[in-house]
Amino acid sequence: MLGFLTARRAGLDDPLRLRRAESTRRVLNLKLNPDRDVDRIHGNGINSIDIETIEGRYMLSGGADGVIVIYDLENYSGKPQYTCKAVCTVGRSNRHVHKFSVETVLWYPYDTGMFVSSSFDKTMKVWDTETLKPAEVFEFESNIYNHHLSPIARKHSLIAVGTKNPKIQLCDLKSGSKIHVLQGHKAEVLSVRWSPRYEHILATASADSKVKVWDVRRASGSLFSLDQDNGDKSKSSSEAVNTAHNGRVNGLSFTSDGLFLLTTGTDDRMRLWNSATGENTLVNYGKVCNESRKGLQFTVSQGCSPEFVFVPCGSSVAVYVLHTGELVTMLRGHYNNVDCCKFHPDHQELYSGGKDGNILAWVPVLRASDMEEESDQKNKGAADSSAGNRALQDAWSSDED
Amino acid sequence: MELPQRERTAELIEELTTSGQGQLNPDKMKELKKICKVSNDCIDHVYHLLMSQLNQDHCEIRLSAFQIASELFSRSHHFRTLLVDNFQEFLELTVETDTEQPLPPPKEVAKKLRSLAIQTVQSWQASYGSAYKKLALGYHFLKQVKKVDFQDLEARTISERRREEERQRKMERIYKARVEAAAKEMEESYQEMESTLTEMESCLRLLLPEFGVADFQTDTSSHSNTQPASEGLPDVQQPCCSKALTDVETESGIRGREDGPEEENRTPAGNKNQDTGNEEEEKTFTDCSDPPKKGTENKEHNKEEKRQSEVKDGSEEGESSEEEESVEECLPLRSSGLISHAYSLDLNLSPGLHVKETEDNEAVVSTVIELHKLIQTKHLPAVQGWVQVFTKSRADEQLLRRALDLKRSLEGAVQKHKELHIDYQTRSCREKTDTSDDDDDDFDEVPEKEGYEPHIPEHMRAEYGLDPSPSTSTAQPKQKRPPVKRPAPPPPQTTSRRLMRLLEEQQDPTSAAATLSLLRQKISLPHQSSSSSGAASSSSQSASGQQAAQAPVVPFGLDLYYWGQEQPNAGKIIKSASQHQFWVPAEVEEEVENKELLEQSKSRYISFPGRFVPVSHFCRAPLGSGKLCQRQDRLKCPFHGPIIPRDEEGRPCRPEDRQREEQEERRKREQEPDWRDAELMRDIEAATGEDLGSDRLGGKKKKGKKKKKYPNLSDLKQSSDTSRSRLERKVFNKSTMRRVAQVLSKADRRKHDKFSNQFNYALN
Repeated sequence: MLGFLTARRAGLDDPLRLRRAESTRRVLNLKLNPDRDVDRIHGNGINSIDIETIEGRYMLSGGADGVIVIYDLENYSGKPQYTCKAVCTVGRSNRHVHKFSVETVLWYPYDTGMFVSSSFDKTMKVWDTETLKPAEVFEFESNIYNHHLSPIARKHSLIAVGTKNPKIQLCDLKSGSKIHVLQGHKAEVLSVRWSPRYEHILATASADSKVKVWDVRRASGSLFSLDQDNGDKSKSSSEAVNTAHNGRVNGLSFTSDGLFLLTTGTDDRMRLWNSATGENTLVNYGKVCNESRKGLQFTVSQGCSPEFVFVPCGSSVAVYVLHTGELVTMLRGHYNNVDCCKFHPDHQELYSGGKDGNILAWVPVLRASDMEEESDQKNKGAADSSAGNRALQDAWSSDED
Repeated sequence: MELPQRERTAELIEELTTSGQGQLNPDKMKELKKICKVSNDCIDHVYHLLMSQLNQDHCEIRLSAFQIASELFSRSHHFRTLLVDNFQEFLELTVETDTEQPLPPPKEVAKKLRSLAIQTVQSWQASYGSAYKKLALGYHFLKQVKKVDFQDLEARTISERRREEERQRKMERIYKARVEAAAKEMEESYQEMESTLTEMESCLRLLLPEFGVADFQTDTSSHSNTQPASEGLPDVQQPCCSKALTDVETESGIRGREDGPEEENRTPAGNKNQDTGNEEEEKTFTDCSDPPKKGTENKEHNKEEKRQSEVKDGSEEGESSEEEESVEECLPLRSSGLISHAYSLDLNLSPGLHVKETEDNEAVVSTVIELHKLIQTKHLPAVQGWVQVFTKSRADEQLLRRALDLKRSLEGAVQKHKELHIDYQTRSCREKTDTSDDDDDDFDEVPEKEGYEPHIPEHMRAEYGLDPSPSTSTAQPKQKRPPVKRPAPPPPQTTSRRLMRLLEEQQDPTSAAATLSLLRQKISLPHQSSSSSGAASSSSQSASGQQAAQAPVVPFGLDLYYWGQEQPNAGKIIKSASQHQFWVPAEVEEEVENKELLEQSKSRYISFPGRFVPVSHFCRAPLGSGKLCQRQDRLKCPFHGPIIPRDEEGRPCRPEDRQREEQEERRKREQEPDWRDAELMRDIEAATGEDLGSDRLGGKKKKGKKKKKYPNLSDLKQSSDTSRSRLERKVFNKSTMRRVAQVLSKADRRKHDKFSNQFNYALN
């Protein structure tokens, strides 16, 4: 750290370098921090969380009970102990609340005044954050698994919607209508993602174990579908079509630069693809437990020098190095399956939501605290005085001698 | 951490967890804690050991492991961190958070573990929740997702609790209704009981008026008071006594004197009148109790007795004297002043008192009896029931007290009645004589007739299917009986159809008549002899009757039936050759004489196998299991040969037997081939893991089967060894199944063979 700082001061290093080094260090130190809590609003599992990118301050969460909550993540109290307050809630008493489980919540990428939620009650609602009333409601014939807004789109404002119906719907926020349908999948679409690099590129994952990449300007069909064997017919089983996984594909995520695409499937695998060519990079992440029958939301770090990927894996969150597939750590803290996680790129924090109704904040443990502990060792008597520390002390009674 | 320490830790943990006890051994626990205290490495090690024990599929192991964990949890920060890091798994293994991973058996222990774990988690949360985030999360998870109610120590589910409440409410309702009913009932019958009590009280007072006259008015019921008085001041008592005597004579008959026979039976032991058991009499005849007067007095009593009740044993008849004499004799004796102060008089008064029934107090006594019966059978049970109801449902104290009072007074009445020792014997005797004497009774009071009546009045004998001999013939009925008597001897003179029918009924073991006759036989005749006029021959008769009863009853055959008669067609076989209408065989010998048959009809075999005596001895040959053979064969055990006397350990007592047994043993061993050496086989078995049967071979040397690994833990497989499972093993045995299947298929095949060509059967 000091070396980086002096190098930075001397102008030897790129400013980005220091930043990367520090954020990597922070990511590696992610821990379940007793100082950070998130208000417990949801009475049931949490299906989706999203952090807005403009300020990085507000977090949306959608629960299986149909409730949507907005949290304030910023700690202005000046104390390390902080509980993320729920700013506002679309509770069960709200007239416009989703009837069934909310599957996906997303901020409008350019403004916190609007967010979009989709639910198993076959509706997708565009909400006005101020009034907490839906500005627009899109209705579908079947359950909605996932929807996504392009984070970089300037020329369109399309929402891609994956439903139980194999056809992918594109809804236009400008006109408030479903303007386009992408056909090609044979089973329900569990996940959709816009490329963060090209605004018209869309990737979709389906239960027919295929992942297709589309250019929405081209109506005739997908650009290509990802093939786990890279076209090697000898390896592929009798199946002639290209499959990305051997089971349902339920998770999809671009890296922040948009060059790579990550997919997870119920075959307990995660695969990394070159998003330009659709080539399987064959990074072996090992077994990634995945029992979800719905979409899975996982996330990739941003601004670290080896990038990390955070994947829900049973009741814990697995952290892998993106390009080597090395398992860094398992973040264990949930008491039930984890369904979603979101990386906060500014603070290098991770938020995860699970079926146990908890949203856990994984906050980097600073090195300073280590030094503090060492000093604690020196003057133990002083440390003992504080009640919080007492719980951390050993309490061997003298009768065991 | 050194190796020996590691080993010791593992050992300790294994011992602690496999103890099967609900509590940990404090000494071992202390040792473990001591080791853990040394360093965090040790705690790491202990933690891993504990987790592996927690993963065992046995709840007792888990419970003990959990207890160790909770001990360490409260002490070591490092252990807390480790455990909290893996808290999900810990909860799964102890609180059953994962429904697909239920706690293993045994069930009760699992329940205990669960509730204990929930309690412990709560206490952990209270003390460490703020410091360990995951602990708090786990607590909230249990509380909110798993809906565990931490207040409810039983860790019951909501539905269970509701059911419990419902049950309680129901019980309350029932109790309330019961209390109300009981209270109402009490109200209703309170009056009746009161009146019964007063009646009883007054009856008793009538029976024992001396309380009021002779003794002090203040305590009429307590006899203990009178005793010291009479003992301490015999002289002072005298005038009182005479007064009492007159009282007794005038008021309630000569009650005391009826004790005569009893007194006679007691040997008059010297000066002391031992245990006469009758205070009244004592008082009455204070001066008569000296030895010279004793004999006459007894005689008088006997005479009196005789006159009072007509039915008396003949043996008592001889003595007779005048009863008035006694009184007259007594009085002069007293007035003569023979009793000086030097004359010591020992009175041994027993606390009890007897009341004899006489003609005078008959009505009172019968009332008392009735009342007593009423109280015993009706009132007391009812009151007891109320008391029970009231106490059980914690009803109003007033009610309970009232019921208790009632009960106490009822019991007091019963007790008083008991203390009186009213002699009912004479009463029942007299009643009987009454019924037998008063033939012209118009059958007003019909004594109960159902069931067994040992004494049947003469006029009803015919009705009961008995020979009406006493009236028709002068001889005793018993003399009519043949020496060898069938259960129901056919009386020769019976002519009437009714009697015949009764006789038939007697043959039927289910009829009342048969039971009656059987009973009559069983309770041999003394009863009857006492009821009928006493004769000297009765005793000898009863003896012969007993002999007859002991003699075996054997069925008789045809030969006896035709005894002494010439049977015309005995042994002849009539051949009815052909019943054809026209066709008749040429010559037919219609009758064929069969010698054998003829002889058979004249010969007689009586087989008398004797009586079955159950075998009371055991074989007692030593078995392989170390026990003794428990077979009870009469002469020879099918496994161990003839039964010979053996000592405690099953060795034969006689030397020749022992020798023989040893020889046999040796021969057996020699017959065994070399390769079947038990040691060798055991080695092979150990090496290969197959059972070659070495256990059977060296049965006596090797005790028991392979020892259980953890004898303290309850065996999970044991539950499978129920009677049901054993039966299942038998019934669903492969060979059994095969056999049954064979039999069934055989039957099927037979049917098929027989009827397969018939349309009707072929279909089913």
